[in-house]
Amino acid sequence: MKRTIIIAIAFLLCAGTLLAQGEQKFGMSGVTYTKWLWGNQRFDGSLYNFTTVPGEGYGDNGQGTEIELLFFGKPNKYIEVKGRIHSRFSQNEWTNFGGFGVNEGCGNGSTGGDCGESDPRSNQYVKLRGVTVNVTPGYRFLDNAQFGSTDLGMFDAFTIGKIRYIDRDNAGAILFQGRLTDSLKYDVIRISTPRLWAGPNYSTGEYTAQDSVYGLQMKWSGNEFVDGSLIYERARDIEVDKNDSLPDDGTDVDGRFSNDVWGFRVGVHPMPMLDIRGAYYTSEAESDSNYDAPGGFGINGYSPVIAGKPEGDSYTLDVDLTDIMSSGLTANFQFFNIDEQYTSIMAARRESDVLITEGFDATFAFPGPSNASYGVFGGNETRIGYGGWQGTYQQVATLNVDNEFTDFDEPAAETAIGWKGFTVTPKWTHGALEVAGEYTTIDYNQNWQIWGDDSNQMNGGVLYPATELDAGIGHNFRSAFAPFMDRSTDILVLKGRYTFEVGKGLEVYGKLKWIDETDKRMNNAKYLPFKAGDCPGGGVACTNDKNFYSGNNSTGDYYGNPPVITVNGITGYQWKPFDNLADDDRDLSETMIQLGAGYQFTDILYASLTYENYDIDLKDGNTAFQAYNLHEMVSGQHNKDRYIVLVKFPIGGVEAGLNYEYVTGDFTPEFGDGFVVQYADAGTATSAGVKEGSRGFKNRYGGWNSLETRDFEQSRLKAFFKVRF
Amino acid sequence: MNRSVRLLLIGCICALAAGTVLAADVTLKDPTGDDFGPGGYSYPTDAVYKRGSFDLTSLQVKSNDKKVDFMASVNSNLEDPWSMGNGFAVQMIFIYIDTTPDAGFDKGLPGQNVMFAADSAWDKVVILSPQQPGRVKQEVESKAAAMKDACLIPNKTRGSGRTISGSVDLAALGAKSADDIKGWGYQVVMQSNEGFPTEGDLLTRKVNEYEGQHRFGGGNDGECDPHVIDVFAGAAKGDKSEIDEQKKMLAFECNDDGTSKSMATLTMVKAN
Repeated sequence: MKRTIIIAIAFLLCAGTLLAQGEQKFGMSGVTYTKWLWGNQRFDGSLYNFTTVPGEGYGDNGQGTEIELLFFGKPNKYIEVKGRIHSRFSQNEWTNFGGFGVNEGCGNGSTGGDCGESDPRSNQYVKLRGVTVNVTPGYRFLDNAQFGSTDLGMFDAFTIGKIRYIDRDNAGAILFQGRLTDSLKYDVIRISTPRLWAGPNYSTGEYTAQDSVYGLQMKWSGNEFVDGSLIYERARDIEVDKNDSLPDDGTDVDGRFSNDVWGFRVGVHPMPMLDIRGAYYTSEAESDSNYDAPGGFGINGYSPVIAGKPEGDSYTLDVDLTDIMSSGLTANFQFFNIDEQYTSIMAARRESDVLITEGFDATFAFPGPSNASYGVFGGNETRIGYGGWQGTYQQVATLNVDNEFTDFDEPAAETAIGWKGFTVTPKWTHGALEVAGEYTTIDYNQNWQIWGDDSNQMNGGVLYPATELDAGIGHNFRSAFAPFMDRSTDILVLKGRYTFEVGKGLEVYGKLKWIDETDKRMNNAKYLPFKAGDCPGGGVACTNDKNFYSGNNSTGDYYGNPPVITVNGITGYQWKPFDNLADDDRDLSETMIQLGAGYQFTDILYASLTYENYDIDLKDGNTAFQAYNLHEMVSGQHNKDRYIVLVKFPIGGVEAGLNYEYVTGDFTPEFGDGFVVQYADAGTATSAGVKEGSRGFKNRYGGWNSLETRDFEQSRLKAFFKVRF
Repeated sequence: MNRSVRLLLIGCICALAAGTVLAADVTLKDPTGDDFGPGGYSYPTDAVYKRGSFDLTSLQVKSNDKKVDFMASVNSNLEDPWSMGNGFAVQMIFIYIDTTPDAGFDKGLPGQNVMFAADSAWDKVVILSPQQPGRVKQEVESKAAAMKDACLIPNKTRGSGRTISGSVDLAALGAKSADDIKGWGYQVVMQSNEGFPTEGDLLTRKVNEYEGQHRFGGGNDGECDPHVIDVFAGAAKGDKSEIDEQKKMLAFECNDDGTSKSMATLTMVKAN
């Protein structure tokens, strides 16, 4: 590090000696962004639709304005300085009356501006968001030395990816770029590790100031037919050595987390019609639980990295055929394999899309039909609404997915950790007609039993952070792992677009998409929780004779047997005993239809109307499985209709737009049999948001799963205008 | 589902029908490997700028009695990393057309820093941008007001495979018949879409002395260098010899203060 500082200072001094006497350039520009959110969920915790960050608010209502001022200075031809100060929406709603609001008591969980002027998230503070100094000294081997803020966009999504955390240049780094020969360029970077999220448990421990990530990228432009690059990433999270009790000779440091990733990319371009690109990555990481890095997790641990010493290799191979035989037909093929242990702490979290598949639909965010995390328990409300996000997910090669502080109309990402398979995306263009399709088949590297090793427990000491686990309609965006997986997914898409020569051109578009997914989860009877016949039925209590798959390990510790209850004269089990391998089986059949039309009404006014329908037939375990006891069960029929009105209206220096969405649908549960139906009492009705007396059952942890058909109807709107000045 | 399939089939039939009334076409080609402006330009360093993204390979112009379709191709598969929604994002293409001899503009649009030779003055320019048409029109009106009537922005611009396409009315180009397109002169300026352009630039990306994350390198920090990455040159047949023609055409000289001593001057090419 000392060396890095010396080099940096040396460059600054050298640059200083090169100061030309030319005219100094200085400039300033800015952007204001005004947003109006409205929705009938009636949340007003923040001017963003979605976050899971503890203590932060989210909402679908409110009006606010933020301002960004961009400074630019070029004192001479060798030096350029850029700076950015910015306010943020956060909880700065217009109703705060200029940042004053009302102080209703501050705490970490303050939302909606209820901490008034005492909370920077609601007092309209303006913050330094980025400063960058670029030095272009004119040396043969050094084009640019950059000090300060960067979005890391010059590297690679699998290793050091473009990063956003509200702002686009949060990362602080020293970057050197240049060329060794005409065809060999390099990027060398030292990033100060973001303590907010770039380590085990979304933390870099207690001693953070010297945590760093080094990156090296060598790019060989080769010739017309071949090019390639090599990337190395080295992350080190260090802590003050607990065993060094003698400070007189300074204090030693020890490692909390380390991560090394090598990447190789090659492109072969034999002819205009054919393009081949391959990328291979190998990673290793290590967490030390002596320094508060998790040594293991419960069944649903949260962390951006696997505990212990994960090692994983990943690759993608892309073959692109363009305008085949001048027919207008293009086809892209991609083979991919992302190891379940692949770890890169600085991989892109949302800003990139590493696979060409559409993936899953972002309208399903969390396991429940309402997109409520842990919605089976009272008080856990939906965070992004029944509609979720619009469009499909982008895939990222990390567990560290970041969809925080987004609105429903923004891109969202899902983890592709463990995915392996193949995608083909043909596209045919003829005049105003465009027809495209996709077929993807996905297998999973983490298709395993009991986390891949019989010595594992189901809930405790697990190396893999499973977050929301794999129950739910879609693939929960940051869930890669589950204790038992035997899963495969097929995605088929057919879409088209045609512009009719009517007036300024009427564009119509449509899409059909099918997702078929099966997951047998537990597929060996030795893992069943209890011995055969343990629950004989007929109102007779279970004997609780556990089945041990290894040593003292039994899934019966997690999938406990039901008590015998009597409701309205009917006696039986509170839920079905887990006594059949089919009790946790998953079988998803999703059909999605999209139809829409867009028209340029005037030179500046564009509007479109889109209709989408999601028709889902899902078996996702029964009352024995209970969505891992933690989430709303979703087995049954789901039907969701979505109507989207989009208006774009750029005028003068103003970019104005509106996105209105009306979403309606229903969910009819089908949870199987083998249990006694219960009826919601007043307390359950209040906490679970159901009608008193409605049918349902209480799960192992007391969470209520309704058996009634649920009807959804939600509206939301985001209107905005941005002014550049 | 059946309704959607029917809709797509109808679309196919309409498109095929449209294809049968095409009356004329012009094809111009450009060699690969010349996406370096006057010879030494380099791409920005951000990973979204993929090799060949600004390497113009061809322009096809097709017309019928109502519309003229422009299809410009590059030496890289198009991507949309900025979610522009049109199938491409980083490219910005200006198709200058000389429809009327001895008339037109001899200066390029703001931000490109190019002139046109006296016998190659342009009368119309078709702008293929991933930005919304309204945004492009607003930029033209505020930054190139004197040229706004000559700037044509398709209502829809799309990228597919390696080709960016858009259509404008035949009449808007001042043509009397579809065959007129065969006699026109063309020049294509390959640039990059910049959503946050500086005051004088029409949605174009700057070329500096050294490349930056979102700036081309190899030029000058002033405004004396052509902010042009690739153009047609010579006979526009795609022959490698046209690379030298391009270098000559885009040659420029700067004063010490970054002002122009000698500007790059483009000439039109015609289909033979």
